Amino acid sequence: MSAEFVLFWVFAIATAMSALGVIVTKNPIASAMSLVATFFFLAGIYVLLWAHTVAVLQVMVYAGAIMVLFLFVIMLLSLGEDTSMTKFSPTRIIGGVATAGLLAALVLAFRKLPEASTGWAASVDQLKAFGTLSQLGDVLYKQWLFPFEAVSLLLLVAIVGAVVVAKPRI
Amino acid sequence: MPSFSIQDFMPIFPAAILAVGAMALLLSEAFLVSVPHASASRGYQAVIGVITAAFAGTVAFHNAFEDPRVVLQGFAVLDPFSSFVTVVVAVTVGLAVLLSAGFLKHRNAERGEFYALMLFAAAGMSLLALSAEFITLFVNLEVLSVATYALTAYLRRGTRPAEAGFKYFILGAFSGALLLYGAALLYGATGTTKLAGMAEVLRAASSGDKAWLVYCGMVLVATGFAFKVAAVPFHMWTPDVYEGAPTPVTALMSAGVKAAAFVALIRVFVALAPGLGPQVPFVLFGGLALLTMVAGNLMALPQRNVKRMLAYSSVAHAGYVLLGVTALFAPAAGTEGHGMGVLSASPLLGQVPASAHADIYKAILFYLLGYAVTTIGSFGVLAALERREDETRGTTWDLDRFAGLAHSKPGWAIAMAACMLSLGGIPPTVGFMGKLLVFRAAVDAGLLGLAIVGVLTSAAAAYYYLRVVVYMFMRNAAEGAAVPERHWQTDVALAVATAGVILLGILPGPVTAWLTQATMLALR
Repeated sequence: MSAEFVLFWVFAIATAMSALGVIVTKNPIASAMSLVATFFFLAGIYVLLWAHTVAVLQVMVYAGAIMVLFLFVIMLLSLGEDTSMTKFSPTRIIGGVATAGLLAALVLAFRKLPEASTGWAASVDQLKAFGTLSQLGDVLYKQWLFPFEAVSLLLLVAIVGAVVVAKPRI
Repeated sequence: MPSFSIQDFMPIFPAAILAVGAMALLLSEAFLVSVPHASASRGYQAVIGVITAAFAGTVAFHNAFEDPRVVLQGFAVLDPFSSFVTVVVAVTVGLAVLLSAGFLKHRNAERGEFYALMLFAAAGMSLLALSAEFITLFVNLEVLSVATYALTAYLRRGTRPAEAGFKYFILGAFSGALLLYGAALLYGATGTTKLAGMAEVLRAASSGDKAWLVYCGMVLVATGFAFKVAAVPFHMWTPDVYEGAPTPVTALMSAGVKAAAFVALIRVFVALAPGLGPQVPFVLFGGLALLTMVAGNLMALPQRNVKRMLAYSSVAHAGYVLLGVTALFAPAAGTEGHGMGVLSASPLLGQVPASAHADIYKAILFYLLGYAVTTIGSFGVLAALERREDETRGTTWDLDRFAGLAHSKPGWAIAMAACMLSLGGIPPTVGFMGKLLVFRAAVDAGLLGLAIVGVLTSAAAAYYYLRVVVYMFMRNAAEGAAVPERHWQTDVALAVATAGVILLGILPGPVTAWLTQATMLALR
């Protein structure tokens, strides 16, 4: 049993457990923190898949930026404790049916997947060279240098424009 | 490992200069301004803006003598065609900055960000004109669009500017998405986003089973551009946005944005049309030109609001440029499309369009230059006449405002009269020369029907342009009419624009001679 295999099960079980924590805890803050944990464990799985870039973005963007936004919203709304989970309302029933339908669709789709690899990555080396940070840097700075720099100009203009428009009336 | 030489970066120098100037203005706002809410300490900002624009224009002028070539790994081109438009953009933004100086000072709203956004928009226009790859083109289009969205909503007094900014943002984002979707379909059909590579495989792709991808992609890309140049039926946003934006910004939009978008459109379609056969772009642009020339002028006729009238006139002028674009794709005379229909090439003159291409490019570029100078002048007079107290009233731009202007402000009246004559295509102005070149190019390409429609509509347009002149010179001002304020920056900008309108109309020789050089495209 290789180390990768052990790590995969550790991350997989931890991801599933913390994802469960998101929906079963009653306190919204605890729920949000479970979501952060889910993102971190998921990032571990991405690393095992040689998708380093996705792993880093997962931690920085989701666990970092978006979760802070979530927490701000939860704190600003200051939800009460009394949201009961047992009542049946029409929206809940519709939601439940939709969830079951989605699950069924996903299971069906999963059963349709081909047994063997689809062959988009011919070799392990090619797979390893696909999602790493060095590969991303190669694409951005060697092959797409000019559009990449143009995007940085676009972001600067967008920031300045947003500040100008958000200012109090001039 | 790609290697770049300094030669590779030459085409983006003007845009880089504009961006650096914009950043200097942003920083000056943070470090040099002592009184946060007064315009008094900001007189130097317009000067920085004008110097930056002049510097960028000079570098672009220098670039225009380079041989056309593809640079930066195929993402950009260095050719006289794009350099010429960068010169036009630099002139436009320089004059717009001068106009803004007086306009903003009068409203106590002068800020470094405003000029910075204008320069960023100009950088985007310059970069758009030289993009030779779809992702680069889209990003640069967004640079210029985002800057103009923010400028539109810069002065939020009354309800109109907010409406204009929001409408422009939503429709601009929508049209950008259409263009991007079209580019994605073309990528799906050809497997590359670079225009040069796409042109190589497009013929195979457009005849195989991916033909629908190609045609849908081309139509979507054309639609995205048609929004940006305000061609009918994609012009709906134009009057509201042009009316709601601060007047100097409107001048920049109608002159600069349009010129840059036209150049990008021409570059994309000239590069890709050989893979499609010219029929598709011909019918597409011929239809757009016909609709735009007719509808734009008809909608401008009843307008008493001069700013709205100029907005519709800008739509109509897009139609004349589209007439030139159509001429580029006119089918060779004698091959197909005989007859005298409005949308067909007649074999009367028997000239093969391929040899006339240089004249067509020349006509389009000269028209864009002439329209830029004229529109800056006319919106400039409008900006000078506006008063801060009018902002909440609805009559700010009514024709009555111009009554008796010849007596109270003869200089402005002469400037406005020159610009109106030029917009109407009456000699001795640049508008006449531009129309002459475009119509001649269209007739040479065999587009007799479209050229006749163009001449007739521009004759009808003389009515609403000359009406302004009549009001200025033959009506008396109402009693107690508001007296506009003067600022030396506005006067300088108006003098330069008027001199351009008249001098280019009398002596177009040096510019057209230089334009013979500027008709070289790197990709065709």
